[in-house]
Amino acid sequence: MKFLKTVATAALTVGALMAGHAQATTLDQVEKAGVLKVGMLVDFPPFGLMGTSGKPEGYDADTAKALADYLGTKIEIVPVTGPNRIPYLLSGQVDVLVASLGITPERAKRVDFSRPYAGIEIMVYGKKDEKVSKPADLSGESVGVVRASTQDAGVTKVAPDDATIRRFDDDAGAVQALLSGQVPLIGVSNVVAAQIEKAAPGRFDEKFPLSSQVQGIAVEPGADKLLAKINAFVGSAMKDGTMDKISEQWLATDIPDFVRNGSVEEAATPKSATN
Amino acid sequence: MYHFNFTPVFENFDLLLYGAWLTIRLSFAAMILGLIVSVLGAAARTSHSKVLHAIVGAYVEIIRNTPFLVQIFFLYFGLPAIGISLDPNVAALIALVINVGAYGTEITRAGIESVPHGQIEAGRALGLGPIQIFRYVILKPALRNVYPAMTSQFIYLMLTSSVVSTISANDLASIGADLNAKTFASFEIYLVVTGIYLVLSLLFSGLFKLIQNAVFNYPASR
Repeated sequence: MKFLKTVATAALTVGALMAGHAQATTLDQVEKAGVLKVGMLVDFPPFGLMGTSGKPEGYDADTAKALADYLGTKIEIVPVTGPNRIPYLLSGQVDVLVASLGITPERAKRVDFSRPYAGIEIMVYGKKDEKVSKPADLSGESVGVVRASTQDAGVTKVAPDDATIRRFDDDAGAVQALLSGQVPLIGVSNVVAAQIEKAAPGRFDEKFPLSSQVQGIAVEPGADKLLAKINAFVGSAMKDGTMDKISEQWLATDIPDFVRNGSVEEAATPKSATN
Repeated sequence: MYHFNFTPVFENFDLLLYGAWLTIRLSFAAMILGLIVSVLGAAARTSHSKVLHAIVGAYVEIIRNTPFLVQIFFLYFGLPAIGISLDPNVAALIALVINVGAYGTEITRAGIESVPHGQIEAGRALGLGPIQIFRYVILKPALRNVYPAMTSQFIYLMLTSSVVSTISANDLASIGADLNAKTFASFEIYLVVTGIYLVLSLLFSGLFKLIQNAVFNYPASR
């Protein structure tokens, strides 16, 4: 089954590319059709996942629904995968991607991004009473990380020589070590940090960020009116608390500042450290 | 055709040796302490005290019927809940001793039970005290009888110690996993790691043989 699905996906992707696509979807077309076709990942919790009811849900799904409401259209969610999401968009099979697409310089050449609506941040996170606010403060401390993860690389790069880095096989091990007090600090993403906050409210907080990646809603190049409308949506949703509510539900935290104040220009400028 | 690339292995060979050194120290300490636990446990299990019987019996059954991974997780992640926080290497050592002690207790008990009763009576007839009888008449022949079983349990202990990488101890398996995650030369790294484990096993086997020749250097009774 899985193989068949892979073949089908491959065929669709190739077909989509070959069929070509003359023009970008315009705002008029979307409004006329009355349906916004949204490409979304369903294998990337908590951003995109298949709910128990068999319908896509998550941070991306809620954002997409709010976007459709804003545009006054219905919504059709099309499940896409990491590798085929941009081809789906460029071939016109979806109007927009709300698919946790990180804004990178390479991708910005192929699609147009809205301002950030979400973000993944890698940080050092730990016990509330630990006085750590910069890499140098890690001196003499032990920090748990997942072996060879981005956090491992990030912490190893900035930690002073006398910091002990404890490597675990997976997030569960590192988080367990933090929860049980075996390490006072760990390197995690904000997604995992949100889960920890849920399990142990108020015991831990962020110490300092290691790196971050913002995600934007993507449209085809040239769909300027649609993009302007989406930017207006993200702007108002950031202001009126809609995004905070979605973030609160799926990530257990308000929209962080690096997302709220982030811009496409900043994220799409080539720099050395991206995820 | 796959191109072998041993560069990451050779570049980090000192790290691997460092990991192997921890594995050796951990295993060696666990063997010594485990042997002590085994002898005490077997003495208790063959004694006439019902309470000791029950306690050691429960220990042996609990440890032999639960996975080592779970035991080590319990020690490292579970105990801090009641205020006992152990360094990963210490937790690993304790877990290994507890584990090998349970198996060793049963092996040693089998050895003790294989000592003929007449031999013990002969010891009494010679005027030996209870402790002397246990040491010279029961324990030494007992250990001799189960020596092969005991040493293979010890070798197995050394191989089991690779599990301690899950609680972030820096043993050979853990260093191998680190290198693999960094360089993706899985075949080369694990080939070398496997080779090091094999060499360690053979070295320990050789050591056990030497000990056997030195300690049990008298003719067998049967």
